[in-house]
Amino acid sequence: MKLKFKIVLCILVLILLAQLIRPKEVKSSKAPEARVLTGVPLEVAKVLETSCFDCHSAYTKWRWFDKLTPVNFLVASHIRDGRKALDFSQWDSLATPQRNAMLYFALNGILSKEMPLSSYTAVHPEAKLNPKDVDLLKSYLLNNAVSKPANAEKTAKDVEKPALKEIKNSPNGIAYLPDYRNWKAISSTERFDNGTIRIIFGNPTAVEAIRTGNINPWPDGTVFAKTAWKQQKAKDGSIYAGQFVQVEFMIKNAKQYAHTKGWGWARWKGDNLLPYGKTVSFDTECISCHRPERDNDYVFTTPLAINGLTKK
Amino acid sequence: MKTSFTAGIFPFMILLMLGCKPTTTDRINKEASITGIKQLPENPLEMTPLAVTLQPEEKTMATLYGNSIAAKRLKDGMDYGAGSVLYLVTWKGKADPDWFGARIPDRVTAIERVSIGGNGQKNYIFFKGPAKNADLEISKDDRQAKILDIPVATSP
Repeated sequence: MKLKFKIVLCILVLILLAQLIRPKEVKSSKAPEARVLTGVPLEVAKVLETSCFDCHSAYTKWRWFDKLTPVNFLVASHIRDGRKALDFSQWDSLATPQRNAMLYFALNGILSKEMPLSSYTAVHPEAKLNPKDVDLLKSYLLNNAVSKPANAEKTAKDVEKPALKEIKNSPNGIAYLPDYRNWKAISSTERFDNGTIRIIFGNPTAVEAIRTGNINPWPDGTVFAKTAWKQQKAKDGSIYAGQFVQVEFMIKNAKQYAHTKGWGWARWKGDNLLPYGKTVSFDTECISCHRPERDNDYVFTTPLAINGLTKK
Repeated sequence: MKTSFTAGIFPFMILLMLGCKPTTTDRINKEASITGIKQLPENPLEMTPLAVTLQPEEKTMATLYGNSIAAKRLKDGMDYGAGSVLYLVTWKGKADPDWFGARIPDRVTAIERVSIGGNGQKNYIFFKGPAKNADLEISKDDRQAKILDIPVATSP
């Protein structure tokens, strides 16, 4: 009995001493007061503040149980990762299209049930969103954040294109693949969230995988090129592909790209085809966006049955 | 009794696990790939994609495809030459279930084919898709001119 008491006492002392070791986020005295998202109705901003701000802004409200060591280290690491993916503290420095992109990203995280994390809502039940909250966000975006196409004052043909020099590799070492325009279109997408129109090209390996129904997982050698153009409005009201925005590649090699979910990720932007990303690990951003599709080999596109079109 | 129950529960659990696994066929956009049109001379989806367009009023989206002669326009920007074959495949658009903010092809409304003969003679054929509104009037000459005039989606 006496020994048991000593053991319990030791554990308690250790726990108490452990409280002196804390992540820097907890040490810093007080988080700044949350700022209301400029230009967003209060009720919409309140939903985001309650459900997202703890991990996706500098305005974290630490509850007493979040501050206990070792839980605080886990919480701090969640916040660090969360702010890398989406940080509402940056709101005031962003232009409207970036703000809208942030809101669509947040809402899609919610709709895919990725966010808020279930481990977080288990202890912070107030952060759970109800269907009314989700409808409020949807309705706000549909009524206020739908990109309008540019008028066809200048067609893509009229704009002088810069002469292309050497196309640099993506920061993760992936080289540009110039032949994608000869590949097949496996689908197309209208993106009203950012005013683009897209063709998703698939290389011959991708097309063969679709033909044989072997697309989950996609076989090694599969490459997709998702190409985006700005929407441009013609005089008759129809919309077509205007200015080239970017091309994004997903290159499948389960072994070579094991550390990035089996895919090599790369993006080249604008008519100069400038590689996207500042560091080697820029692709964590790509994976974070594609994570809801992890059961579909991280691929959003639902391809057309290319050889099936003429079948009855 | 206990053994037979255990023996029975295992296949049931395996069936449940298999049932939960996402199937590949579910990921193919089958609705957008079936036309029921038997007499199409070529499969446009096997051709080179040249352009994409949206028709907001009709809530449709279309992709323009071309054979290798037509695809030269992507590089030289010149008019379609003799021997060009173009297809405009139009789908009803639908909300992308995986991304709020996107629309993707649903059922085919129409497939149109424009070909340019050796003498420059143009030929237009219309194929009605399963989602086509039968009452919609199509003027052959207008459509042919419109298809030939769709700006190709250029990329560097």
